[in-house]
Amino acid sequence: MLSRLVLSAAPALLRSLRPAASVGVLHVVRPIHTSQQRSAPVPPLPEKGGEVRHGLIPEEFFQFLYPKTGVTGPYMLGTGLLLYFLSKEIYVVNHETVAAACILSVIIYGIKKYGADVAAFADKLNEEKIAKVTDIKNNAIKDLEAAIEQEKKEQWRAEGRSYLFDAKRNNIAMLLEANYRERLLTVYNEVKKRLDYQVAMQNLKHQKEQDHMIQWVEKNVVQSITPQQQKESIAKCISDLKALSKSAQVAV
Amino acid sequence: MAGRRAALKAIDWAAFAERVPANQRAMFNALKTRSDALSARLASLPEKPPTIDWAHYKAAIAKAGMVDEFQKKFSALKVPEPVDTQTAKIDAQEQEAAKNTAEYVQASKARIAQYEQHLQKLKSMIPFEQMTNEDMAEAFPETKLDMEKNPFWPHRPIADL
Repeated sequence: MLSRLVLSAAPALLRSLRPAASVGVLHVVRPIHTSQQRSAPVPPLPEKGGEVRHGLIPEEFFQFLYPKTGVTGPYMLGTGLLLYFLSKEIYVVNHETVAAACILSVIIYGIKKYGADVAAFADKLNEEKIAKVTDIKNNAIKDLEAAIEQEKKEQWRAEGRSYLFDAKRNNIAMLLEANYRERLLTVYNEVKKRLDYQVAMQNLKHQKEQDHMIQWVEKNVVQSITPQQQKESIAKCISDLKALSKSAQVAV
Repeated sequence: MAGRRAALKAIDWAAFAERVPANQRAMFNALKTRSDALSARLASLPEKPPTIDWAHYKAAIAKAGMVDEFQKKFSALKVPEPVDTQTAKIDAQEQEAAKNTAEYVQASKARIAQYEQHLQKLKSMIPFEQMTNEDMAEAFPETKLDMEKNPFWPHRPIADL
């Protein structure tokens, strides 16, 4: 029943909350489903529930009574109601009261002591779930962006195919040109070789003829020296030598 | 002499090397070494062979008419140019490559469009804190639980938990 108060107060609260909450929230207008009536956009759930005092009574009740009765009004009402129920025995004190008191005190003690920890633990669980899914989402985004980059890079690479074919055509042109030059060079070399051969042959022949002639002349000259001439030439040589030795003796 | 002076296009090997993907690097290196070898060979050969000194030979060789005959035959000689058989093939290859590239680029663009779409969907998602289970199934259809096939909780085979 009290939750209905909360629900009726919630829109008012939310309207006051929304400016603050919208700072970090992505406001996306969702497409309106034609099959279901939905108000768009669906507001995010509030972080905290409605304020309550003493874990039971909503704050709105105190605010409602404040103008007429001030701060102590609701407490006086509560005390008065309690005393009325007790004194008129509308609420009967029996063994169940004692049991309720013990149980409630234990419960309240437990909540007071461990409440915050349990809440933190539950929040952590929730956060872990969300963190996991957020990680997945972020990784997916990163992967997609990397993939897009990669595709663009591959496209850029493919544009460079003209280089390849230019290189191939260059190779062909170079090969043809080199072969042609080689052929010209071969022709030149061959012709030169033949001409040089002729010249060399001629030179060789001349030389051989010359050598042969010299040899032949020498041979004939040696042959023509008759024994008579030899004796005469030796005698002349001796007389020359004697004259030379005489002149040498005189010189000394 | 018509086809002799096929102009050699200057190739920017550095830019070419940039565009080569890693798995084709070996082929690129082979092509480069071949190209370099060919250009070295071309550079080593003189453009025209040296001219033969006919006057000297005419004076040196006694045999009459031989040098004249050689000279006549030499100047009449036409060295045939090597015939280019491959350029047509290269051009055909280039056409085919152009076609393949166009196809690839097309497919690539389609893939990019797909990725962009997915990226857009992911980026414009509502934050997880505000999602209901229905919203989650909408955003990531693969997490949707099949209620017809598995009517009872947990709505999926136990092994998949």
